[in-house]
Amino acid sequence: MTEEPYRWLEAIGNRREYITEQMKGGTPVFALSRPEGILLVGVGQGQSKVFEIYDRHAFAALGHPVDIERMRQAAIEAAHLEGFNRSPKDVTLRRLISFSLSTTLKTSFEQIFSPPFIIESIFAEVGNKCAHDVLVRVHYDGNHHYETSGVMVASPDRKREDEAAAWLRQVVKSGDTLNEAIGLCLTAWQALVDSKPFAEIKRPDTLPTAIPGRTVEAALLDRSRSGPVQYRTLELN
Amino acid sequence: MNGDFLALLPKAQFPQATVNVGPDRLRAGAASPFLGPAPEPLQATTVFAFHCKAGVVIAGDHRATAGNVVFSDRTEKILELDSHSLMAIAGVPATAFEMARTLQTSFEFYRRSQLQPMSLPAKIRALSQLLRNNIPATIQGFGVVAPIFAGVETNEPDAQPQIYFYDPLGAQFEATHYAGSGSGSGSIKSVLSFLERWGEPKPAEMPLDQAVVLANRLLMTAAEFDTATGGVHPEKQQYATIRLVSRQGIQAVSTEAQAGMWKEAHD
Repeated sequence: MTEEPYRWLEAIGNRREYITEQMKGGTPVFALSRPEGILLVGVGQGQSKVFEIYDRHAFAALGHPVDIERMRQAAIEAAHLEGFNRSPKDVTLRRLISFSLSTTLKTSFEQIFSPPFIIESIFAEVGNKCAHDVLVRVHYDGNHHYETSGVMVASPDRKREDEAAAWLRQVVKSGDTLNEAIGLCLTAWQALVDSKPFAEIKRPDTLPTAIPGRTVEAALLDRSRSGPVQYRTLELN
Repeated sequence: MNGDFLALLPKAQFPQATVNVGPDRLRAGAASPFLGPAPEPLQATTVFAFHCKAGVVIAGDHRATAGNVVFSDRTEKILELDSHSLMAIAGVPATAFEMARTLQTSFEFYRRSQLQPMSLPAKIRALSQLLRNNIPATIQGFGVVAPIFAGVETNEPDAQPQIYFYDPLGAQFEATHYAGSGSGSGSIKSVLSFLERWGEPKPAEMPLDQAVVLANRLLMTAAEFDTATGGVHPEKQQYATIRLVSRQGIQAVSTEAQAGMWKEAHD
């Protein structure tokens, strides 16, 4: 099959369709670059969606739980080996994504006889200030892009994802507390899940702190934390 | 996927932190024709730990020696492994620092990959394993390390900090009151043994400031009899490296804080 180019293209197309279909039930995750650090928010049903990778690195994803776990392990292994062999400062997201993770994803996606990763993810690296934060949106096929606006959303539907990110850029103010930022992410989460157009949504006066029947997960790559480990989970109230 | 960082190193073709022991290696090390009898273990340093009221105080001097040469008087021998455990190193620095670095990465790797912190017994055994892997270098005499480990179990809310000391082959022993390692530790252990029996207060009953003053006095006493112990001179604002391990984690006692406590006790 692989020696016939058009059939290969067809097979790849089928794979995209299959992954899109599998991703349909997935709910979005968010990353926001804030003065305190990088905030990551996910809403799950039992399983986690937001994880620590390394001293300054975290990861939020949606997709098949087994694939999220595979990706997480791959990232943790690559980061720790690099940090051990050179130094923790040499572990940078750009190198991690370019030389390790995105190639793994692309290979796995294009090898049409083996199962692809069913995953959409955000990787984050916290800097000394907002301008030095790195946010990368990594797709299931290894394609990825860096975001400089400080707001990133990962969702199964790319159009809706862009709309949600644009809305958040508009409504999140620089003076907002972490709880307010989480509340706005949850508002966007609800709108994405309910397929509500963002043009109709105003910044609510009372921000949600929970989603009924679901577990809200929030973590911060804390800029001000002393010591090497900057990741901490946030208690929601 | 078992959370073992050491197993990952050969897989990724990185040089392993310490030599793996195989029977061949062991035999080759023991019967090396070039080395003759193994030299005396090189443990020119002083580190020790004892229980006080606030937790476990672990302290070390600052001197590193090579034979009769003072190599450095600014060496840090107490190394934090993670937020709730640390080790004090005595022995060959090259091996000891590498062991600490390996453990730091191993503990964090386990915590992140397994989504739970490593238990204290597993941490204690991890250090023991590194010492065992280091047996060929220990037998040949150039890589002897005899560390002290202190830590607190993070998975149990009521756990108290514990002290363990090791022999260079990897056997671990829990210290009920105190432990010491290195060339200057003999005199320190004698004083601590005396204080445990007849001290008023005993070290275990001392608040932190008294324990810190005691730790500095102990190092100055050890330096009287051991040339390889040094770097603690309150008159020059040079104090010991001191950490406190308690339920809250590890707390460093800064030079300024030690100076304050020392002044309080001696004015």
